[in-house]
Amino acid sequence: MNAQRFLALIVAIIISVPLLFPGGHNIGLVNAILIWSIFAIGFDLVFGIAGMLSFGHAAFFGVGAYTLSLLTMRMGWDFLPALGAAGVIGGALALVFSYFAIRVSGLFFALLTLALSQLIYIMAGTKLRMLTGGVDGIAGVPRPDLFGIDFYDDGNYYFFLLALFVLALLISGLIRISPLGQALKAIKSNEVRAEQIGFNVQRLQRSVFTISGIYAGVSGGLLASLIFYVGPQMLHWSTSGDVVIMVLLGGMGSLFGPILGVAIFEIMREWLSMQTSHWYGILGLVFIICTIGMPKGIAGLIIQLWDRIMPGGKS
Amino acid sequence: MSTIVIGLSMGMLLFLLAAGLTLIFGMLRVINFAHGSLYMLGAYLAFQMVSVTGSFWAGLVAAPIIAAIIGALMERIALRPVYDRDHVYQLLLTFGFILVLDEAVRIIWGLEYKQMYPPELFAGAIEMFGSSVPSYRLFIIGFGAAVSAALFFMLDRSRYGMIIRAASGDPEMVRTLGINVSLVRTGVFSFGAGLAALGGAVAGPLFPIELGMGFNIIIDSFIVVIIGGLGNIRGAVMAALLIGMTRALGYSYAPSWVDFLTFILLIGTLILRPEGLFSRKGRTA
Repeated sequence: MNAQRFLALIVAIIISVPLLFPGGHNIGLVNAILIWSIFAIGFDLVFGIAGMLSFGHAAFFGVGAYTLSLLTMRMGWDFLPALGAAGVIGGALALVFSYFAIRVSGLFFALLTLALSQLIYIMAGTKLRMLTGGVDGIAGVPRPDLFGIDFYDDGNYYFFLLALFVLALLISGLIRISPLGQALKAIKSNEVRAEQIGFNVQRLQRSVFTISGIYAGVSGGLLASLIFYVGPQMLHWSTSGDVVIMVLLGGMGSLFGPILGVAIFEIMREWLSMQTSHWYGILGLVFIICTIGMPKGIAGLIIQLWDRIMPGGKS
Repeated sequence: MSTIVIGLSMGMLLFLLAAGLTLIFGMLRVINFAHGSLYMLGAYLAFQMVSVTGSFWAGLVAAPIIAAIIGALMERIALRPVYDRDHVYQLLLTFGFILVLDEAVRIIWGLEYKQMYPPELFAGAIEMFGSSVPSYRLFIIGFGAAVSAALFFMLDRSRYGMIIRAASGDPEMVRTLGINVSLVRTGVFSFGAGLAALGGAVAGPLFPIELGMGFNIIIDSFIVVIIGGLGNIRGAVMAALLIGMTRALGYSYAPSWVDFLTFILLIGTLILRPEGLFSRKGRTA
């Protein structure tokens, strides 16, 4: 067993808690972890693989949530096509963002994505109030209706989410080892060189940003259906911040790291918010310490420890 | 007339923030996400000083000093260990500061809106060209102009300014010449933090003091910095006034489109001149 497989084992244990301990109270938490993991896996394609720090992913996440809610509730669409549409719209918005944001590089990319997503947030609260319900949001978002299974039961919905989670993980794993993934890693390590070799840097960056937007849109739609509600909070910049924290906490650029980050974030949210109303400040401190102390996140730490304990079995 | 006054005062406020952002970026290559939180902290600190001492001026002096100390600590404790890493980590750290500073403010001052009043000297309104203008707005314009003049004088003419400009361009060379560059970095970050808090203290009597105020202004400041040209402080002045005037005109003619107008400026800039409307080659600070 090498370190990567050990990480995979940890992730497998976390997501199979409802199978190992049926009837527990953890099912809601695990469902949330699955959904946020899809978001984080997609975010890491941009952040960890391509090295672009986006602070605008809340826009794709929230727009996906609104798309699914409006299509199912107002237009009478079925759940699955609406979920697909959430992904398509999320990806399309990401493509639009990327046309503006890739004009500036590095840190200013983060500023621009933040500013653009804030524009979407403002629009949802004011100009599109008729559509989005303004600050009240939309309540009563449905869950899928398939094969006669009652997905309003959290235990059943878990399997639906698990299937999508595994699919998302597989696709992300394939992208990582695909020529696209390799080219993006080349761009991350040296953009000028990659361009000189003949890669169309901007087009590759736009592609991965769009894929990441699809991930965000789908996961946003799923979260709306999990909590039966969509509100402007999902579009808020702090949602973008949350996913950044999750990915960095878990370990950017690794396949399983972001999932670990999501699990820890969600468990902290669950546990700390019961102890104190100031949990977000504590999260900030943890985040600062982790950024200074372990830049490769928990996954990096585990790999390091593993290699020390089991020398020779290098991953 | 009052539209122009509002626009200029708004521009001056934005400049106080954008100047700090620009200086910090020029020197440290860090975009300080927590700049808005420092602005908010400045407003709360000024509010606290006013309610303790009863004097607006005490707040105006104390808030930037306290924020500058906090800024120096932030740079020393958190940013210094990660300078040799990718710049993304520094930006992420300042994002962590937002969470911590916002929480600290929430713990100390709670969630209610706070209200500050202009000093008695500028409490009234003045008749100008047939319309009545709050004299506090005029004070902000004058104060902002004085601060920016002092800032430019310091950067262009003083020894400290020379060191900052040189260290922004080539820190290694400046270090070789016997100047403690890491101290200069701490100083610049702390100074920027002080400027943000000064902006917050000045803005206190204009807006209700609340937790969201930092984030509202930081987006505009980022837009100013991008439009002005990355790390270009002269560009920042022009861009701040441009955004301030756009906002003021927007409020009086098309209130619900104000936010869109600034974004149209931003996107227009990016399409026409991605390097900034007011950028000149080879000038950083």
